[in-house]
Amino acid sequence: MRQAATTSQQRHSSHEYDHLVPLFEDLAALDVDDPRREAIRDELVTGYLPLAEHIAHRFAGRGTPKEDLIQVATVGLINAVDRFKPDKGSDFLSYAVPTVMGEVRRHFRDTSWAMRVPRRLKELHLSVSGASTRLAQQLGRAPTPAEIASHLGISKDEVYEGLEAGQAYHASSLDESLGNDGEGMPLGEAIGENDSGIEGVENHEALEPLIRELPERERHIIALRFYYNLTQTQIAERVGISQMHVSRLLSRTLAKLREGLLEGDTEESAADE
Amino acid sequence: MRLGANLVHLPIVRAVAVNIAMRADFDVDAISDLELAVDEACSSLITHAVAGSVLACRFTIGTDDIVFTVTVTSAEDVTPNESTFGWRVLTTLTDDVTSWADQLDDSLHQVHIEFLKRRPVVAR
Repeated sequence: MRQAATTSQQRHSSHEYDHLVPLFEDLAALDVDDPRREAIRDELVTGYLPLAEHIAHRFAGRGTPKEDLIQVATVGLINAVDRFKPDKGSDFLSYAVPTVMGEVRRHFRDTSWAMRVPRRLKELHLSVSGASTRLAQQLGRAPTPAEIASHLGISKDEVYEGLEAGQAYHASSLDESLGNDGEGMPLGEAIGENDSGIEGVENHEALEPLIRELPERERHIIALRFYYNLTQTQIAERVGISQMHVSRLLSRTLAKLREGLLEGDTEESAADE
Repeated sequence: MRLGANLVHLPIVRAVAVNIAMRADFDVDAISDLELAVDEACSSLITHAVAGSVLACRFTIGTDDIVFTVTVTSAEDVTPNESTFGWRVLTTLTDDVTSWADQLDDSLHQVHIEFLKRRPVVAR
């Protein structure tokens, strides 16, 4: 019963978006730096927002707050709008749905806990992470544990616990990062292909293929931190995830690159002999 | 802090780094940067350490900075090349980083990486 209702709702909503379709052609016709792009892009994102909300709703009830899911789904939607090429013969919805779903799935994968962490600690971690994001917006810089403690009205020791609980993410993230390239998502025509900024680096020949293999978001975050020298808080704001999430992604990506470079070294010296 | 020069001990060093930076009330960016830098410095040295040797780590806590020094014994002078990506990572994450090696005898070197992480200046 419920299934049928969802389907008819979807059918209904795809008509709802008909008036937006020509906007993609308009957007494609404008130059990359045309100031009118921004307005059209906003209209598209706003217009398709019900789609993101709908997908977020389907993932509700798994322990992630609804607002977070909608935020993640919206990031997926923005990516879809930015990357969709109307001349490729597919319609936007069939492109956007897997992109947005992929983003939400990735969120679950990135934020799954490696070991059994007591509920109290998970909640503490989430509230510390949330407070950190809000304070960063207010202060325009990263907050300190003391500031987070006074913002939440809890002790500094509790903040420490909440921050450290985030480390329980690490172990699983490392395993999962092996061979995750977006589960067949249409991320191929990645934007900013050459923005890693590693050209000046001596071992860039070994590094380049490793960086190219990274999921697009990880590659982008690495470039923002180590080439554009943005702080984690600035990156978090730009990418639309928490600073702690940026921290985890950087940590696992650096580990992955180190491992890859080391393997490259070993192969090279084996070839020398 | 002296541990076996083995990658399995890295989480311990990282946890200590995070703990020290939190208690010094560094901001959350600096706490994570220090953790990542410790990870980078230790793993780059551990991979060149003589099997069964020691990883020596020292944290020196000042009023406005934390200095971290890591030392391993290696068969070669494996001071990191300053034009590698790993070095770029270290210089981005920290405020001042140096690396040097002491020759112990014909076959052994002590290789060190030392960096300083300053408490970010906060405009209140």
